[in-house]
Amino acid sequence: MALLKHNASLRIWGKRAAAVWLTLAAATFAGPEARAQDSLEYEVKAAYLAKFAPFIEWPARAFSSPTTPLTICVVGPDPFGPLLDRAAAGERDGDRPVTIRRLAAPAPDCQILFADGDNQAVNNVLGAEKDRPVVTVTDSGARAHGIISFVVTGNHVRFDIDEAAANAVGIHISSKLLDLAHAVKKGARP
Amino acid sequence: MEFMAGALGEIVSKSVRFGAASLLALALPAHAQQLAQNDINQMSIEQLANVEITSVSKAAEPLSDAPASIYVISHDDVIRSGAQSVPEMLRLAPNLEVMQTSPSQYVITSRGLNGNSADQSFPDKLLILIDGRSAYNPLFSGVYWDMQDVLPENIDRIEVISGPGGTEWGANAINGVINIVTRNSADTKGGLIDLGVGDQTSSAALQYGGQWADNLTYRLYAKDFYQRADATVASPGVPSGSAHDGWTKPQGGFRLDWTPGQDQVSLEGDIFGGAEAQTGLPFNMIAGGNVTARWQHPMDDGQNLQVLSYYDEEQRTSLNGGSFYLNSYDLEFQHNFTFSNWNSVVWGAGERIDQYRIHPRLGAANSLIFSPGSRVLNLADIFGEDRIALADGVQLTLGLKLEDDPYSGVTPMPSGRLSWKIDPHNLIWGSVSRAIRSPTPFDVDVVEKVGTGVFLTGNADFLPEDVIAYEAGWRGQVTQDLSVSVTGFDDFYSNLRSIEPTPVSFVPLYWGKGIGGNIYGLESWANYQLTDWWRLAAGLTWQHDDLKFVPGASGFLGVAQDGNDPHHQASLRSSMNLADGLTFDADFREVGQLPNPHVPEFVELNARLGWQVNDRLDLSLSGFNLLHGHHVEYAPGDAIRRNFFLETKWRF
Repeated sequence: MALLKHNASLRIWGKRAAAVWLTLAAATFAGPEARAQDSLEYEVKAAYLAKFAPFIEWPARAFSSPTTPLTICVVGPDPFGPLLDRAAAGERDGDRPVTIRRLAAPAPDCQILFADGDNQAVNNVLGAEKDRPVVTVTDSGARAHGIISFVVTGNHVRFDIDEAAANAVGIHISSKLLDLAHAVKKGARP
Repeated sequence: MEFMAGALGEIVSKSVRFGAASLLALALPAHAQQLAQNDINQMSIEQLANVEITSVSKAAEPLSDAPASIYVISHDDVIRSGAQSVPEMLRLAPNLEVMQTSPSQYVITSRGLNGNSADQSFPDKLLILIDGRSAYNPLFSGVYWDMQDVLPENIDRIEVISGPGGTEWGANAINGVINIVTRNSADTKGGLIDLGVGDQTSSAALQYGGQWADNLTYRLYAKDFYQRADATVASPGVPSGSAHDGWTKPQGGFRLDWTPGQDQVSLEGDIFGGAEAQTGLPFNMIAGGNVTARWQHPMDDGQNLQVLSYYDEEQRTSLNGGSFYLNSYDLEFQHNFTFSNWNSVVWGAGERIDQYRIHPRLGAANSLIFSPGSRVLNLADIFGEDRIALADGVQLTLGLKLEDDPYSGVTPMPSGRLSWKIDPHNLIWGSVSRAIRSPTPFDVDVVEKVGTGVFLTGNADFLPEDVIAYEAGWRGQVTQDLSVSVTGFDDFYSNLRSIEPTPVSFVPLYWGKGIGGNIYGLESWANYQLTDWWRLAAGLTWQHDDLKFVPGASGFLGVAQDGNDPHHQASLRSSMNLADGLTFDADFREVGQLPNPHVPEFVELNARLGWQVNDRLDLSLSGFNLLHGHHVEYAPGDAIRRNFFLETKWRF
């Protein structure tokens, strides 16, 4: 898996170019697409990312308006490629459509933010988002942990939840998602 | 299989019934695991947690890319089959032969060589791992299936790999590897009371699991059952009275999972004791316990370190005398890393110490002695495997294991596997690999007497039984609803064990290495999602045993002493979700005749109706072997009964 990710990061020289490149790749290149599809692990992670939203309640301030789309941001090298776009196609969070953005640095209108890259980069992103109502997500193997962190255990992709960190920024995570979590760092219950 | 219990004279007079095990059976439904991406995206978030992302080679890779004949039995498959024991669960894998010989005894193999218990030949070429703990018995390399148990509820999945796994998995993976993985205790929180009653089996299990701290979960379980006797076979195909071979075995255990940071640590253990009635022989008493610890440590750059250690203790006593005590200590590690972007490497080493004591069975009529009666066996190995991305979708896996076994020294077990992912839906692969069954105390140290005369002796010069396997396969997702796997194999054996008479005097007999040759065949299965509520899974295996005596061998007892295998097996499984919470499953199986001793071809059917009444209560009614009152799966073996089982599960 790390091999695949590393390949991806090599190919993506400029982070800004990455978004453009991936969009093009998704539309036109079969090659990179096939490579991404080789990774069942990232297919599953992409599907998770697209399906978390209905189990999460954000404070009103997290959205600029009641009809703003729910935005899943990928910050740093993107391990998903078109997998994430396909996973999100057709997903909705209540009345909100779900959109994907790929960014070099965190932007204000992300509700779910997947942070990848080296330790330092991930730490910087998590630090910047610490006080905002954003569900940060980190990959398995990352040293730093977001509110949700993927875990590969027993050949399955699972996730840990830091409920305390979520509560601290006004995000409520449903008990159903907490039950599904591999491990939960508990928050204060009202 | 029960080599400690049997009498001896059967070799010469095969008509006398043996004291223990036997039989045969079949195969089942298939459930290919390739998942088109659309399938993944349509899964519920709960289902995502169950998607299998790894496989055969020790380095993680998607199952659909594994260059080997691998079949995965999922947790749901196990539950929906109604199977209550590990051997019954294994009937779900089309690439295994599973033959029941009594309520507690089974003959299980892959790709043939199921043995011939009347000739003191037992299936001894499978590696069984339960969460990494090896469960074959080093005294004779066979498996005491009555000593292996996992609650169906706690099975995560069972990976069945047919063909040699010597390079990747190690000792005794000649014809296949059965890798049983139990669920993380984070997935089994809460209480469970499981009560079952049937005309053959009654059982009760209690489990409780929970979270001790943020990153520490646990479960504890206890279970017991009683299984009534099957019937003896008076003459071929005719069941007569009770075989008096019922059994009971209480068992308990625990599992802890701790995730400090990215690390994962698990600690688990079991303890059991049981009593088995045996036809025409005194009771057999079994007992054992084990503890397994595993630590996985992910590092930067995708590196991963795993350390595994276990202690296992077993004892088995036949009340007519004869017993063994076995203590096994194991420590192994493996390290995965990648370099230069196109190499993915896993290497590691392991050491197992088996310390045993065998008390002879001494009798006026016959005796079974091991000389020496105790030894300490050291088995060490070191292995490395490199997965090389040659081109887009083309991958070459080269591996080598060096195994140092106590009797024959260091043996190299190389393997090469090449796979080509033609497109996202089709993978073709081919491989050449070598594995060995190393000599055991039963091969080297055994002395059997009839009266005071030595009747059979082990052979200090016994060489490892050896296989070189050539395999090729295709796995395809033909349509979104249909997946198929086909594997062809040609496995070349040498030094298979034979029984040789002493010139002129005939006795003592001794173990020779007089049989070799090849077994070739096809393994195939398909999975068809007919509608969103109905799935069909079919399996078909066909094989031909072409074994011969080598020049100089006596030819005594024929080549069927090493394998009395069916020429083919077929299975069809139907899984229906009838309504909310209501499921109906049927497993049909057909097994070809066994040549020598002859066992007729048979067909049988298992079925289960399950009703999930609510979040807390599950009810199910299962019927096993529904087509006949009795049928025989192996010879010598009991007539296996039709039986029914009603199960209630209450969660709290």
